[in-house]
Amino acid sequence: MSAKIDFSKISFLVVDGDKISAQVVFDTLSYLGALDVRRVGKPEDAFRILRTQQIDIIVTEWRLRGMDGLEFLDSLRNSTSSPNRFVPVIMLTAHSEQRYVTTARDLGITEFLAKPFNAKALYSRLVSVITRPRHFVNTGTYFGPDRRRRQTPFDGPDRREDQKSKARGNT
Amino acid sequence: MNEQKPPKVQIIPPRTELKQRAVNFTKGFDINLGPEQLEELERVVQRSSDAFVRSIGHDLSETRQLVINAITNADLRPKAVEKSADLAYSTKALGGTFDYPLMTQIAKSLEVFLHGRSTANKRQLMVTQLHIDAIYVILASRITGFGTSIEQATTVALSKIAARYSDPRE
Repeated sequence: MSAKIDFSKISFLVVDGDKISAQVVFDTLSYLGALDVRRVGKPEDAFRILRTQQIDIIVTEWRLRGMDGLEFLDSLRNSTSSPNRFVPVIMLTAHSEQRYVTTARDLGITEFLAKPFNAKALYSRLVSVITRPRHFVNTGTYFGPDRRRRQTPFDGPDRREDQKSKARGNT
Repeated sequence: MNEQKPPKVQIIPPRTELKQRAVNFTKGFDINLGPEQLEELERVVQRSSDAFVRSIGHDLSETRQLVINAITNADLRPKAVEKSADLAYSTKALGGTFDYPLMTQIAKSLEVFLHGRSTANKRQLMVTQLHIDAIYVILASRITGFGTSIEQATTVALSKIAARYSDPRE
């Protein structure tokens, strides 16, 4: 028997000024069984909802009127008045070039989905957010999900091991 | 001794409430969707296709008229550039989703051309208008997919003309 996701147990907030784009995300989530999906066009309205209601996952566009999606994310993660610094955020945007992905990652995005997107790609981001929650990292310059996602082999010197050996040698 | 302290890093364990609440073995959608379920989900996305065509069609004709007026009326140019940039972004974003990848390609060329501009000169507005006309033709003729070699050549030509008239950028 394979594991399933009951989307009716999760509340969503879609922040997108483009009505068609917001509708596509809304339809997809509704089809999946989500019962609590809110849609707003501006981050200011999103904050109003976040202050009064439980939201489990945010899906936001980058390009928004007034405060853009990045500023919204920055406020969510780093502002002292943020209603929820840990809420998973999926950024859905046509700004798909690498520099945009890197910028969003460094501000604490949970998942990035480039437009134009298809249903499979959106579903895989939702699954990832729900089933593979990541550690949060808090440093002086970054607050957000752990950005290390790939396990790549490293063949350089192991400085930690060197330090341990030195320490052992000193004792 | 003036040894620098390593930065303090706090690692906060993952929050698993969502997983605990939503993942189960009886109700909902499989974590790994089968081809049929994916197809069904894709059909849900495509439900908005007609609304997209109507919305883009409306925006195209409105923006086109504004650009044409701005060619002879300099006061309208900032507004025409702003509206064209909005149109380029939304068309680029959704064209491919509804099987109009060619529209996305041309909209991307227009977006790059308008990036960082607050106004445009006469020739630049004409380049903008050419892009809008090309997107309109794709929509009116319902050219899905990447089109034939003619459409591809048109896309390349539009990018070239956009590069040629990209300066000055104000």
